[in-house]
Amino acid sequence: MDRVPPRVLSAAVGIAVLALWELLARTVYAGSYRLSPPTLVVVDFFEYRDLYLRNLWHSTKTAAWGFLWGNLAAIALAGVASILPVLRRSIGAIALTVFCLPFIAVAPILRLITGPGNGTPITLSALAVFFTTYVAALLGFDTAPGSALDVVRSFGRGRLAAFRRVRLRASVPAMIAGLQIAAPAAFLGAVVGEFTGARSGLGILTVRALGALHTERIWVIALLSTIVATGGYMVIGALGRWLCPWAPALDVGAVPAARQEPGLLNRMAALLAPIIVVFVFWYAFLWVFQIKPFFAKTPFDVWAELFTNADAAETRSSVFGALGTTLWTTSLGYVAGLIGAVVTAVVFVLIPWLERALMPIAVALRSIPIIVTTPVIILFVGRGLLTTTAIVAVMSFFPTLVNCYAAMNRTPVGILDVLKSYDAGSAAHVRNAYLPTAVPALLASARIAVPTSLLGATVAEWLATGDGIGAVMVIAFTRNDYNVLWVSVAVLTLVAVIGYWLVAAFELRTLERVAPGASR
Amino acid sequence: MARRGAPVDVVGVGRTFALGGGEVEALRGFEMHVPAGGFSALIGPSGCGKSTALRLVAGLDAPDEGTIDMDGASPDQMRRGQRIGVAFQDPSLLPWRTVSTNIRLALELVGRRHDTGSVDDLIELVGLQGFEKARPAQLSGGMRQRVAIARSLVTEPDLLLLDEPFGALDALTRQQLNDELQRIWTARGTTTILVTHSIPEAVYVADEVLVMSPRPGRVVAHHAIDFERPRTRELLLADEFHAKVEAVSASLHRSEGQVVQLEADDS
Repeated sequence: MDRVPPRVLSAAVGIAVLALWELLARTVYAGSYRLSPPTLVVVDFFEYRDLYLRNLWHSTKTAAWGFLWGNLAAIALAGVASILPVLRRSIGAIALTVFCLPFIAVAPILRLITGPGNGTPITLSALAVFFTTYVAALLGFDTAPGSALDVVRSFGRGRLAAFRRVRLRASVPAMIAGLQIAAPAAFLGAVVGEFTGARSGLGILTVRALGALHTERIWVIALLSTIVATGGYMVIGALGRWLCPWAPALDVGAVPAARQEPGLLNRMAALLAPIIVVFVFWYAFLWVFQIKPFFAKTPFDVWAELFTNADAAETRSSVFGALGTTLWTTSLGYVAGLIGAVVTAVVFVLIPWLERALMPIAVALRSIPIIVTTPVIILFVGRGLLTTTAIVAVMSFFPTLVNCYAAMNRTPVGILDVLKSYDAGSAAHVRNAYLPTAVPALLASARIAVPTSLLGATVAEWLATGDGIGAVMVIAFTRNDYNVLWVSVAVLTLVAVIGYWLVAAFELRTLERVAPGASR
Repeated sequence: MARRGAPVDVVGVGRTFALGGGEVEALRGFEMHVPAGGFSALIGPSGCGKSTALRLVAGLDAPDEGTIDMDGASPDQMRRGQRIGVAFQDPSLLPWRTVSTNIRLALELVGRRHDTGSVDDLIELVGLQGFEKARPAQLSGGMRQRVAIARSLVTEPDLLLLDEPFGALDALTRQQLNDELQRIWTARGTTTILVTHSIPEAVYVADEVLVMSPRPGRVVAHHAIDFERPRTRELLLADEFHAKVEAVSASLHRSEGQVVQLEADDS
């Protein structure tokens, strides 16, 4: 097995999976609407070729616009944060809040501003890329060598010159790594935007196909989305290797959390500033777009709806009750995905031929926005609570697996030699080398997975399960109950931000012990 | 103190690596003999295969030709019998463990995790009292190397292999650690092979200095070092010490010249 070339092995595994898929679809799942045989999927694609390609082109165009605007905004704001460190925390808070928004429920609100056209999917697509590109760009600006910055300073030039002449150049590899994961994310944003209504595009096509139980169509769309998203990821990756071949591969999903400033006053500022900034943005958003009060809800409206209005108790019980369901199913999937990923990474690092056969598939799946394949999972698993758990598990599994395996693979040779010189067995290798080296990557992945898991859960609930806060939002949306919609968005975002912070705090504490000097 | 440990007999060893498209012959006809409880130093130009030779003796790599025998056991058997201690230029400590748990790692790996008394003794022997609970990131380079040396000794191995363990340190710390290494070796009497770049270091600590040729490496000169032990820093100023260093230095230069000639012959 060790002598078979990886490509051959991967191809063999791919063919075996396809064959098994065909077999299962034609026997066990025959006539069940769950699984389409690959051959029928291909036939369906060619039969409705024009329909598929037209909608694919539409979604791709939408994603491209979102990619452009979202990344421009992210890079510009990262530049501002780099030149004016005072603003860094506030801009970071905005970026994180955007990342934590439940996109599926934001779509109806955005549609109030952008109208029924393509504006909402483009905006969501831009929002979907914003956070990761912001983090990557800022990381890139920060990696500029201190000595080069000192040279600029020694000539009496200021931060602006240092930014233009040193930081901008130094940031290219990190920036490209950010743009690489932004490509599938932009596609995700576009499709999620289309889920809630659009004239054209793969998202709306999916929703119609789900309603009609057109199984083949859902599989075709999932495959097309996968191909386009992975294609964008690979093209930008190749561009990066061509532009900066010296730069090591970087995964923005594995970047450690930023360190907190010491001191109580700083901590308080760290907590308050983001809240104030988000509230200012909230009001600015309502004011700039002059949204009618029936649709527009301020933070105070949300507060009143939850705590002081006549029907506040009712709203609370419905929103928080549903939130409880969502959090329960989501955390089950989240934990299962993380544990599964670590276990799989350990298996891969211990059994290299298995890794060579399966890892390329995992890397490809990591790059696709799993949410786009939600309808397929809905078909396969059904419309119960388990669907949400399954989607969240799959979403947190692949990025964590890829990051943890990469970290285990980077275990210093010296440590492995020491273990080998005592003839240490697999268990001792896992305990003393692989697991501890993977901890930083695991924690970084776990942190990023908090908002994405909640996003996946709400999409699944919105589209399929009829449970949890996703369902509360879709009901509010159809009843034009904008109070509940805003409350749900606010509560979900807050939950995601708090979850992200908690994991980040745990991550920083653990890094101090496990990998001193690893946090930024 | 009784001499302990295994004698090492390396006969006709060759090792070639595939590199890129071509091949690199690291060792050819490499021979060395270290008596039980002996202390040999391997010295040679950069890239001459010193570390390769040491990894072969450690059982971390296998020779393409030739034999390595230690008291009837192969390096792999020695390694599997957990009778070898190694320390490299990179101390390779586990960053998440403390000084004492890093040393204890070796005991855990050989299944003697309750043998903690020896850990405390070794911490004292390498002069790290008070730092038992410190993590590697809080230590200086020299202190980390002491931890690595202590770890290599804690299982009381029959063979101690040191690959430039002090290579990255400043001259002063290096001399201090050489003194300690000598003291430890005198106290324990373990067969020791030290790979180093530094001629004075080799002459100061070893019984015998083996000079290697440039790649493909083999031993081209033996220098017995019979200064009395314990050797002290006054030795560094003595004429006979300088004479020895000069002699080793001369054969190192000759070995480098030889290859220039060899290469000229090849072309």
